[in-house]
Amino acid sequence: MSDGFPTLLLVMAAAALICRMLGFVLMRFMPASPRIEAALRATPLSVMAGITALSLAQGGLAEALALGAVVGLTLLLGSDVAAALLGVAVVAVLRWVGV
Amino acid sequence: MSAAPFTLDGFRRGLRDGLPLGLSIFAYGLGFGLVAAQAGFGIGRAVVTSAAIYSGSAQLAAVNLLQSGAATLTALFATILVINARYFLFGAALQPWLGQVSAPKAYGSLLLLGDANWMLTMRAIRAGEADRAYLAGTGTPMFVGWLAGTAIGAGAVTILPAPEALGFDLMLPAFAAAMTTAMTKARADLVPVAVGAAAALLIASVAGPSWAVIGAGLAGGAVAAATWRDRA
Repeated sequence: MSDGFPTLLLVMAAAALICRMLGFVLMRFMPASPRIEAALRATPLSVMAGITALSLAQGGLAEALALGAVVGLTLLLGSDVAAALLGVAVVAVLRWVGV
Repeated sequence: MSAAPFTLDGFRRGLRDGLPLGLSIFAYGLGFGLVAAQAGFGIGRAVVTSAAIYSGSAQLAAVNLLQSGAATLTALFATILVINARYFLFGAALQPWLGQVSAPKAYGSLLLLGDANWMLTMRAIRAGEADRAYLAGTGTPMFVGWLAGTAIGAGAVTILPAPEALGFDLMLPAFAAAMTTAMTKARADLVPVAVGAAAALLIASVAGPSWAVIGAGLAGGAVAAATWRDRA
């Protein structure tokens, strides 16, 4: 490839910028409706459940146990941030002992 | 347009919640820095790339493509667009809330948008967060961590432990699982959870993981829109 680094950088930055801005920009022209609001409210839960499901599908026993612990700890502790960090510690320990 | 709050207090709240994420992103920045250095990027180029793209998966794919020698500008552009397609959805979901402040504040905040701080912010919005500076607050430690990690990784003189050994690769799924649990308050919330999980698995097996996350979000949103009933 003969293009210099500044050109490559510009192209990559433009693609990343379009992704960050375009959804926000287009939503401004959508008429507000309770149906769209319901869709946008459901989106984060679906995305997060999707990320969790993918990780479970790709991971092994250690990952499944750690993510199971995260769900239990969130309910037990009432703090999702603490539960997530403990889940990371759980998977690190499980991998270290060879699970 | 009514001016929504955008204050230092809100920024600080976001900063506090985003700090643990900044640490894990730092570890991943180290990883990208190492890969970039091996691909012949110096520290300067690696850091500039991290600042301009600010997306680990997209940057790794781009570096791989450049190393293959078969890269065209179009292929590079399309790769990043596809891998980051989920950000269209993230921006759209933020718009009703973030659109209440001036354009420079809104677009400036979107520059700091990442997977993890989008999740944090959507949860905070549901819990009643009104201060729009919260998003930039959560994004700042992540952005700083990403750049610092990239710089140190690219210039690494010591052997660094793989992020996997410390469990950092599970940070995002762990946050996703925790927040899914915390945000599922009513039985009706189980519908988007089930739809999202099923859609992600199905799409990943057919089209690959880069489409799975946006597919999950679109499927959940579509089902919610289709099943919405006016209760008035």
